[in-house]
Amino acid sequence: MSRVVVRGFFARRLRAFLTGIAIALGVALMSGTYILTDTINHSFAAIFNTGARGRSVVVTPHQGLGSTAAVQTATINEATLAKVRKVPGVAVASGEVFTTVSLFADGKRLNKNAPSFVGSTLPARFENFSAVQGRLPSSGTEVAIDQATAQRYALKVGETLRVAGASAAVDYRIGGIVKFAGATSFGGAGVAVLTLPQAQRVASEPGAFDELVVAASPSVSDKDLRARIRAMLPRTLDVRTGLQEAAQQTSDLENQLGFLRTFLLIFAYVALFVGAFIIFNTFSITVAQRTREFGLLRMLGATRGQIVRSVVAEGVMLGLGGAILGLLGGLALAPGLDQLFKAFGADLPDSGTVIEFRTVWVSLLAGTVVTVIAGLLPALRASRVTPIAAMREGVSLTEKGVRSHMRRRIGIGVIVAAVLLRVVLELRSGAGIVTIVVIVAIVLLWRVPQSRARIKAAFSAVIVALARLLARPLELRGIVGRLARDNTIRHPGRTAATAMALMIGLALVSLISVLAAGTKASINNAIDASFAGDLILSNSSAAGNTGIPTEIPAAVRAIPGVSSVTAIAFTEGRVKGIGGNASITALDPASFSRVYRIDWDKGSNASLEGLGTTGTVLTKGFANAHHLHVGARLSVQTPSGQRVTLSVRGIATDNARLLADLTITLPLARTAFNQRTDAVDFVSYAPGVSNSQVQPTVNRLLAARFPQTQSQTAAQFKTSLGGQINSLLALIYVLLALSVIVSLFGIVNTLVLSIFERTRELGMLRAIGTTKRQVRQMIRYESVLTALVGGVLGIVLGIVIAAILAGTALSGSGFVFVVPPITMVVLFVLAGLAGLIAAAWPARRAASVDILAALATE
Amino acid sequence: MTAIVAASALTRRYGEGDVAVDALAGIDIEFEAGRFAAIMGPSGSGKSTLMHLLAGLDRPTSGTVTLEGIELATLDDRALTILRREKVGFIFQTFNLLPILDARENITLPLSIAGNGADKAWFDRLIDTVGIRDRLHHRPAQLSGGQQQRVAVARALISRPAVVFADEPTGNLDSTAGGEVLDLLRRAVDDFGQTVVMVSHDAHAASHADRLIVLADGRVVHDGEALSADGVLDLMKSLKT
Repeated sequence: MSRVVVRGFFARRLRAFLTGIAIALGVALMSGTYILTDTINHSFAAIFNTGARGRSVVVTPHQGLGSTAAVQTATINEATLAKVRKVPGVAVASGEVFTTVSLFADGKRLNKNAPSFVGSTLPARFENFSAVQGRLPSSGTEVAIDQATAQRYALKVGETLRVAGASAAVDYRIGGIVKFAGATSFGGAGVAVLTLPQAQRVASEPGAFDELVVAASPSVSDKDLRARIRAMLPRTLDVRTGLQEAAQQTSDLENQLGFLRTFLLIFAYVALFVGAFIIFNTFSITVAQRTREFGLLRMLGATRGQIVRSVVAEGVMLGLGGAILGLLGGLALAPGLDQLFKAFGADLPDSGTVIEFRTVWVSLLAGTVVTVIAGLLPALRASRVTPIAAMREGVSLTEKGVRSHMRRRIGIGVIVAAVLLRVVLELRSGAGIVTIVVIVAIVLLWRVPQSRARIKAAFSAVIVALARLLARPLELRGIVGRLARDNTIRHPGRTAATAMALMIGLALVSLISVLAAGTKASINNAIDASFAGDLILSNSSAAGNTGIPTEIPAAVRAIPGVSSVTAIAFTEGRVKGIGGNASITALDPASFSRVYRIDWDKGSNASLEGLGTTGTVLTKGFANAHHLHVGARLSVQTPSGQRVTLSVRGIATDNARLLADLTITLPLARTAFNQRTDAVDFVSYAPGVSNSQVQPTVNRLLAARFPQTQSQTAAQFKTSLGGQINSLLALIYVLLALSVIVSLFGIVNTLVLSIFERTRELGMLRAIGTTKRQVRQMIRYESVLTALVGGVLGIVLGIVIAAILAGTALSGSGFVFVVPPITMVVLFVLAGLAGLIAAAWPARRAASVDILAALATE
Repeated sequence: MTAIVAASALTRRYGEGDVAVDALAGIDIEFEAGRFAAIMGPSGSGKSTLMHLLAGLDRPTSGTVTLEGIELATLDDRALTILRREKVGFIFQTFNLLPILDARENITLPLSIAGNGADKAWFDRLIDTVGIRDRLHHRPAQLSGGQQQRVAVARALISRPAVVFADEPTGNLDSTAGGEVLDLLRRAVDDFGQTVVMVSHDAHAASHADRLIVLADGRVVHDGEALSADGVLDLMKSLKT
């Protein structure tokens, strides 16, 4: 029996290859994701391990909110350093500064797609940088720049480098080009090395450090020294040996990059799901076509179990083959993904290619299991073939079989779509309930045979009606168009399954484009409704979350025509009794309410002005989710580990999302939350002053002193926000394109199989005078028609899901339901093009059938 | 009489070297207009191969085929396809109707492919002749074998081709239905002046023709006036010995 399976498999190797590709692409994205993220992690681990050299013990501020929190960590003061130096067994102890900055040369921002850092020089035994040209900075006017950045921007010793950190930018003379020990790549990141006082100045941390590094005397082990220092220092500081610190940094980074992996894996799962669809469809068709073969095997004494096992075994071979292909594809795809992220603004270090054993087994397992599961139903159907079928003429199993399993397919589709939605959108609990209700409703409907029959008939009718409607223009193309249309609706189930594979990808594209359009519209509305200022100042690059200096408001306020400037900062805290970190907005109450209209639910602008260092305002969503009311007292843990008690003074709705879960005052953020930079400044003009009178002056000031900062009017801000949404959208589209490509293979597969079934028809058509060109056309029309059915279903489904979301999960958030018409038209056209591409090879194959051989087929 | 189809020194070899088989070993033959010719011969005699070559479905190893004065070897695939569409009608053993089209659409299929409409009068005359007027909107699956083959005959005649090739047209039919189809072919020749070339191994079928050609081992071993069914059987027996 197994020989029959293996022989059969290789006899149909072309089909096997096409089907295998369907699974291979999903696996490729999966393994590519693992390979890329592992490579990035290993590259960072190498950097961190190199960095740990010469360090017996490292002291860092405790990250009470976890490594993924978007906060500024506390600093370490000189008294602590002095205390550490006195610990017996400490040979040398130094403080160092390491902070994110923006670097400029000739007025141009360097390394826009990755963060830039400033590090301080250290005593020789700790120093990881070595000069390849010039020297490390020894005076307050010198800087050294990393070799990669220097090469990228052709920077030379003697030129000027401008460093903009948490305070006004400072110009330094490049005194050296340096490389990191071990010459590890930093990806697109840049590092500038300054003397300690200059680094402190740039970081706005006078007399403070980000980290203490300690070397032990020869007589003391790192472990013992760590224990001694630990005993001396408060719990707000972490004390680790050099190796522990490197391990900690590596695991922190893995946590931070975890989202990248999850993000990419979602698309891999979508592609695998689409692949499963195709496998299911292909197996269904081939099982139907092989009815006589199964009947013959049964007649010769094969048991039903053997038939099932033979089909499952085919699935295993196919899945494993596809998975191996996918794994190899992943190797090729990983650098592609890396380039993709570079193109979308995230340049991460990745030296070498890291293939963990986990990557191999997860990929192989996923590919095989998905294929086997998808092939299980068709296998069971094959086992129901009676021995008599071997003697019967023709193939009659197809139609009934495919239809009777449509419900399962739809059921699975709905459930998986719901799960995907949850993952993609992180639905709130309300939508979760709606989703469950919808699923239960569908399941219940299925349980009633009449309604089930009606839904199935309705679905089939929809497919046929849709195909007929879309085929209207084909009727002008004469008999070829007519034949294409009728061939497409000949097996509605098969067309449906093929179209649905494409539908999934396009539904996600359409859903996301509607959500993005709605998000843009709702943010625009919210800005129009709330923002009463004239200019918004913010960092011109999001890489590294460097924020903008707190000195800006005072400087801008001095410009004639400016009436007020208010700063806004973002941080996080952990509220006692509530899991996870709460996001916090910090602002200056008095000046804020002059430029921003708050939609108060409870309280008023007066409550804002009375916040002081003990009050907070909550957003309605947060308050509702955690049943908080005005007057409640929250115990909040700050990034530095302090606890502050805040009483709720007001509750507000803010569709612009400027107000986070909690809103506090800036002075509190500067102290307890050690927030040293701002996120944005809002500028408003004096009455009667026009933008053209003020913005140029503001821009000149920013260029001269705060080059990392840009000014935007509300309109410019909306445009750039739209641009950011668009570029995220583009990234998602690129990744979803893989699923669409997978579904193309599904179309190719179905076409090839149906051409195979119709070989004799094709022979006859050619014999009675159909040209090859006409045959090619016919197949192309069929393909385009199937693709358009999938396209329309996908577009509509996406819009419907978006509408449901707008009415449930997103209701009350100010979300505006907008369908971007151009995107939808483009999607429709793309679906048609996809069909055309998928048809290329099958059409040629159909046109080149040997007439005599075709006529001789049974 | 003028020859509609002519073959000269026609050979067809399958395979190469030791395993080469000469399906046709040099045939010279002409088919006159308005006549019904039957080609007979045992399996492997080359009768099907001859028909495929005459109809432009296959290319000869050597020799020439001329259809209405056009030498087929000079035509590329496209020209050959159009020639088949305009000058040749086919009737197959297995009917080969398109299951997605009804009887009327199947009949007019060759014209539709050419992008032409049907001549209404001719269409009406044809469907009355083959007797399927009341079945025009049935799909092949709803028709009996005999009805399907009558639709196929109408399809072969709809474009008034120069010649109709019928490949074992009664092979899948019972004797009654087969007899009806043979009568139809006879009428096509007698009433419409159609040229018909039929390949068959059925002596009864051959007895409907005007001319009987017998092939054996890729050569013509008999070419003469048609005989009765018994005459054909006797002839075949005599040729075997």
